[in-house]
Amino acid sequence: MKASNTRLQAVRDAVNRVDLKNFRFWFQIVAFVLFVYGGYFAIDLGSRLPFFSCGYNDEGRAGICYLLPLQHQLSQPWPRLFSLASIAILTGFLTFTLWFIVLNKGWCGYICPLGTIQDWITALRRRIGIRYSTYSESQFEQLTKVKYLLLALMILIPLGVGGGLFSHDVSPPFCLICPARMVLPAFTGDVSQFTIDFSSKTAMVMTALGIAVTALFLVGSFVRKRFFCFFCPMSALHYLLSKPALLKLKKDGNKCTRCGDCYRVCDMGIKEIADDVTTVNIMTDDCTMCLKCVSSCPENGTLKATFAGIPIFESTEEGFIKRMGKGLQHGK
Amino acid sequence: MSKLNLCVVAMLATLSMNGHCEDYRSGERRVGQGGRPGEAQAAEWRAKRGYPEGKADAADAAATPPVSAAEHRHGGAPAAASGAPAISGKHEEGAHSGGRPGGMRSGGAVWLSDSPPMRGDGSRSGSARGGGMGGMDMGGGRGGPPMKRLWPRVGNDPQKSGFAREDAEAATEIMLVSPGKSEGEPLKMPAENHAGLAFEMPAQGYYRVYLTNRKLQGDKLSISVAKAEVANFGHGGDEEEQARAMLAPRFLESAPIEIVRERQPGEKQFFQLKSGDEQAYLVLQKGLPLQGARVRFVSHQGWSKEAVSDEQGRVVFQVIRDYYPQWSEFQKRFKAACLVIAEAEAAESGSYKDQSYSSVRYQATLSGSYQPSPDDYMSYAWGLGIGLLIVLFCGVAVYLYRRRRVKPFQELRFNESK
Ligand code: SF4
Ligand code: SF4
Ligand code: SF4
Repeated sequence: MKASNTRLQAVRDAVNRVDLKNFRFWFQIVAFVLFVYGGYFAIDLGSRLPFFSCGYNDEGRAGICYLLPLQHQLSQPWPRLFSLASIAILTGFLTFTLWFIVLNKGWCGYICPLGTIQDWITALRRRIGIRYSTYSESQFEQLTKVKYLLLALMILIPLGVGGGLFSHDVSPPFCLICPARMVLPAFTGDVSQFTIDFSSKTAMVMTALGIAVTALFLVGSFVRKRFFCFFCPMSALHYLLSKPALLKLKKDGNKCTRCGDCYRVCDMGIKEIADDVTTVNIMTDDCTMCLKCVSSCPENGTLKATFAGIPIFESTEEGFIKRMGKGLQHGK
Repeated sequence: MSKLNLCVVAMLATLSMNGHCEDYRSGERRVGQGGRPGEAQAAEWRAKRGYPEGKADAADAAATPPVSAAEHRHGGAPAAASGAPAISGKHEEGAHSGGRPGGMRSGGAVWLSDSPPMRGDGSRSGSARGGGMGGMDMGGGRGGPPMKRLWPRVGNDPQKSGFAREDAEAATEIMLVSPGKSEGEPLKMPAENHAGLAFEMPAQGYYRVYLTNRKLQGDKLSISVAKAEVANFGHGGDEEEQARAMLAPRFLESAPIEIVRERQPGEKQFFQLKSGDEQAYLVLQKGLPLQGARVRFVSHQGWSKEAVSDEQGRVVFQVIRDYYPQWSEFQKRFKAACLVIAEAEAAESGSYKDQSYSSVRYQATLSGSYQPSPDDYMSYAWGLGIGLLIVLFCGVAVYLYRRRRVKPFQELRFNESK
């Protein structure tokens, strides 16, 4: 019994000393290949995935981002929507929730191909030696609401389409402006989304808007880390469902010295991670669960990631020193 | 806007240079993943042909001299002639009586349409749903399964065909084959032409309707089979059911003759044929390929192309572009109806209703639909242009903003002499 306990402790120590940056880099690459090219290996994980495995990547996708079928389902004619189709919508939502609760927002920090691309763009910027931008506190507070607005529109507009209030050319509204629709298929050589549709004025405006957002995405994520995730409606949907999630980010405020290391490494610029010493479940709606904060915290057991209540990765002084020795990219 | 219109027209003109020529490629062999029969399958078919099932004999059918491919055109010329449809060949005006599209050697063919005459095919296609053979009509009451209605029509032109009238001398049989079933179940003939054939589609998958007519004319038996394949899929439906539907057989072993649309490589359940696409069809007799059948593809505007099926019963047509509305009225989801008609004669003898016959004339029809090609209304140049412009603009804006915030270095000097 004792021997197994010490072995477990040894494993835990090893995990806590892990070079998270490296681990995450490779993990993201594997996930990217799986979800952007998995289709070529006949992998199909369904159409309820809680991250941007874009459905428009027809050939390569190994599953479909839930937002696409959700918007399609909601845009059905009302008589069908409020009868037969509602069962399909409910079961679809349930499947999505089941996927989601396993990893919580860890899907964003480790799996989402669009998130990974933003990290790669950040790496490129860092290599070139251009500094990054941040939002001021007031900007942050205003902009963080945008994702909820997009989520609301993403639900209301398809309902309007189904009720005949809007043209089918605005459906699925979020996909039309989602940068993943253009960026991800391009990785399999499909650039057919980079087009303007001249068939109607609405289609023209929507496709032009889509291109504009993608252009903004490219510039934005070059100057700000995880630029798009800040506005992502999927992230908003995640947060609304995050209560029962199995993976959790926890903080022990008593041990926190408010040194601010965690805030400095946070790609999303979440201030609460350092400031808030009372909340235990410290994951906020902008968090992507990248766990960089945990890896950069020098206080034993202050920040930790738990899975179903069991700590799987926590901050330790030893791990901190080891990672610093390797040159953790502080705030770069 | 007028400038834009000009641009679009110019774009269309360029595109129309290569997007519309229909073409029969009997010699060409494409490797398809779709329903394309492989060599092994063909060998199996050949072996099966040896069985004395039915009196049909491939040799008889093959002996039918191939009809040279001739192009017909009727009705008005398509509007907007920038890049006129390049259907090479003759223009057989006046070949048809009373403005009705003729051409088939024996009057009009019976086919199954999803719109009644005079409503104008494709008119409902402004909306994404309904219309065409891929859609479903709402119906079955609130919450009931989707309902589909098909109208038997007669004529060789999708737009001008009238209601098929009942022929007292002919024996008519209508079968509905539901997904997952290998046999059909009888469907009632509508009491009135206007009512159409209605059926519910509770399951996801392909529903097929076969309308078979048998009629003795002198010592010749005419057998015609009009077929329609209706796709019924819903977003968010049972994915396993959908996958099963994609693998299910698509022909009826008991059908005396039928046309099967070959799947495109990688085709998914929401497939829609587009102008410019190449589409292969298989002519089958009791589930086996029929060589030497004359097959005709008739477009929405009545343009047609004829070809002869090869030893795998296969013909390929390129769908033409014949939709030229004013740009302001252009609908990208315009569902144009098309019609495929196959004919073959065989020196089979036998008796039908106690009367003997010495030859059989087979006719099969399959209706379908196609939409404008995305190349007609999508522009890469504009997409790329707008994208680059915004990237450039934002890039410069960020650069200038940052430059402005960099405070020039100022040396602080203290005057120590004071
Ligand atoms: S466009 Fe965006 S929201 Fe739509 S399916 Fe693709 S990733 Fe999901
Ligand atoms: S928040 Fe970012 S990482 Fe998460 S789903 Fe959206 S784009 Fe992907
Ligand atoms: S709070 Fe921590 S886990 Fe969340 S985004 Fe910031 S660094 Fe990553």
